Amino acid sequence: MLKKIHKRVCLILAMAHGTSIQYEPLAEIGGGAYGTVYKARDTESGQFVALKSVRVQTDQNGLPVSTVREVALLKRLEQFDHPNVVRLMDVCATQRSDQETKVTLVFEHVDQDLKTYLERAPAAGLSPDHIKDLMKQLLCGLAFLHSHRVMHRDLKPENILVTSQGQVKLADFGLARIYSCHMALTPVVVTLWYRPPEVLLQSSYATPVDIWSTGCIFAEMFRRKPLFCGESEVDQLGTIFEVIGLPPEDEWPTDVTLSRKHFPPLLPRPITDLVPEINEQGAQLLLKMLTFDPLKRISALNALEHPYFQDEETLT
Amino acid sequence: MAKTGFCDSKPLLDLHKKADERRAPLRTWSNACGPIDRWQPVEESRMAPVKMEPEHRWERRLSAQTSEGIIMGFHEDSETRSVADGCVEEPLLLYPHGLQGLQSLQALVPSLLRLEVETALERLDLIWDRTYAWDMFLDMMITQTRHSFSNADLPRHFTDGTRSVLVDWLIQVHEMMHFQEETLYLAIHLLNRSVRQIKVTTVNLQLLGMVCLFLAAKKEECLLPEVSGLCYLMDHTYTKHQLLRMERKVLLGLKFDLSYCPPLNFLLLLSSIARCSAKVVWMARYLLELSLLEGQCVLVLPVQLAGAALCLSRQVLQEALTPEGEAAWCLASSVHVGSETALLRVMHILASAAAKAHTRETSATFNKFSSPETMHVSRHPGLKNAAGLIGVCT
Repeated sequence: MLKKIHKRVCLILAMAHGTSIQYEPLAEIGGGAYGTVYKARDTESGQFVALKSVRVQTDQNGLPVSTVREVALLKRLEQFDHPNVVRLMDVCATQRSDQETKVTLVFEHVDQDLKTYLERAPAAGLSPDHIKDLMKQLLCGLAFLHSHRVMHRDLKPENILVTSQGQVKLADFGLARIYSCHMALTPVVVTLWYRPPEVLLQSSYATPVDIWSTGCIFAEMFRRKPLFCGESEVDQLGTIFEVIGLPPEDEWPTDVTLSRKHFPPLLPRPITDLVPEINEQGAQLLLKMLTFDPLKRISALNALEHPYFQDEETLT
Repeated sequence: MAKTGFCDSKPLLDLHKKADERRAPLRTWSNACGPIDRWQPVEESRMAPVKMEPEHRWERRLSAQTSEGIIMGFHEDSETRSVADGCVEEPLLLYPHGLQGLQSLQALVPSLLRLEVETALERLDLIWDRTYAWDMFLDMMITQTRHSFSNADLPRHFTDGTRSVLVDWLIQVHEMMHFQEETLYLAIHLLNRSVRQIKVTTVNLQLLGMVCLFLAAKKEECLLPEVSGLCYLMDHTYTKHQLLRMERKVLLGLKFDLSYCPPLNFLLLLSSIARCSAKVVWMARYLLELSLLEGQCVLVLPVQLAGAALCLSRQVLQEALTPEGEAAWCLASSVHVGSETALLRVMHILASAAAKAHTRETSATFNKFSSPETMHVSRHPGLKNAAGLIGVCT
């Protein structure tokens, strides 16, 4: 199996780099939503990398605009060398046929994601200070993306990487559009658990989507299990309203088909029922992230200024 | 600054309809027509006596900080700063030294500048969310310093003359396609980089130029021309297959890195902060576009190019000064200044380019900016001896 993959990837990369094979594939490390990911070794530097390939349809007008733009955007973000964003080390493109070009993105390889990090945590869970540190890094990365007009749109523990030194790195941002051609062909199961109400309601959305997901992840760091586990869009919304309460009529978006009347009138539950270990300021911040109205939801930059993070500095 | 979301209906290149409208020079890129005197001053009344002395305020500010690299210093410090680490102090941006006695005012300047930058970016529709406006501005300042060239040397077979003929041709194609101005600046930037990055034979230079324009359009435009249309514009010298192969070659050569902050964005930002008149802005746009033809301008940072174009435009047009206008100008100039000598050197390049633009073979820009929509700026008599305006220093 591995040999077969090896041969295939080598062939592709050999085409991209002339005869020299720069990336030696080692293992298949995941069949993410966007296709297979390989762990490989950069034969020049010895570093481990993650190879994410996508086949894009090339018509008579060359590489699709979306691919050109999104890859250029990733390259652009790369120039800033942000500590909380995964490194994009290289991009290769090879023509496979007249109709198809393969674009391979070479990312730095980080062994564990937040999901496994939480699973491997000691029985007592992560310490409050540790969670604060992870959250701070996560929000730093997010503020960076948002200030460059990039939404992640699919933030979840699986694509938040944590290095062995405890450094948080966001991955898989901005990939949605590059992979969109490919996605149409793959039956994809995308988790709903981190989706904000506006996405579930199919209303318009912007950068606040990522803050909602961050709130869910914040709670999950304490709970070590997801906060809202719905089984369908409507069920997910119901689960959310059981916690934050049914939003008032005037906050319900007007451009959606699903009516507010569909849901029972519910009052908000104290968030500490669900996340008992959180301190008061943490709970305040969490509620600001899990705000129904995206316009009233806190921004990544403002979240970083929240007292939850500031008391850390006054203590030290 | 991709303004890609705007779906204004730009006509696609329609070959059937436009076949006879195509301009002759587009078909053969080495434009055969020799120098023609296209000089027809439209505004005799503007022949105001030339002041040899630049505005005092400007000069004082310049001499107050002769050291090089304000922008460079800015760059180094901002690079290490992550977006989130809170307060952005701007000791590196200049405070007008003339304000030294006024402690409180001086303390106000950074926040005033910040406010002005944010407002201007919003007015120009360059940002979506004002919260991030200042970051966007810092981003512009940093981005422009990437891909700076260490020298203006071109590969041996590619002379400055050939370059300007190619650029002139691209300016015509760009105009014909009704692309946005940013697309042109990006295309020429990609050309400047790719001609140094990838090996191209002389016969393929035109193809490379076209591919750079095509890629810039893919990055910036909502409507794209057909590849077959582009081949037609090159008289089918190259096949579609060759064009697409070149596209891949350029993308790989540039590692998909197509980001650029064009000097135009700085020009619009500075002129918005400085409350410049429409005519000053058009003139500066003209001067800025002329800089694309000048091979040595690749060495100048976009913000400096924009600053020099705006500064020269003001000197050429000699509009009446108001205290408010001067204060606004003072604030705007605190963004763009490198050093006095650097600024004057760039202004000189632009002034001499403008002075001879009408006699040159490469006259697409001159023609474009002689239209009524652009307020006939390229025909302004003041440009004839623009170099004289700043002539004292070299």
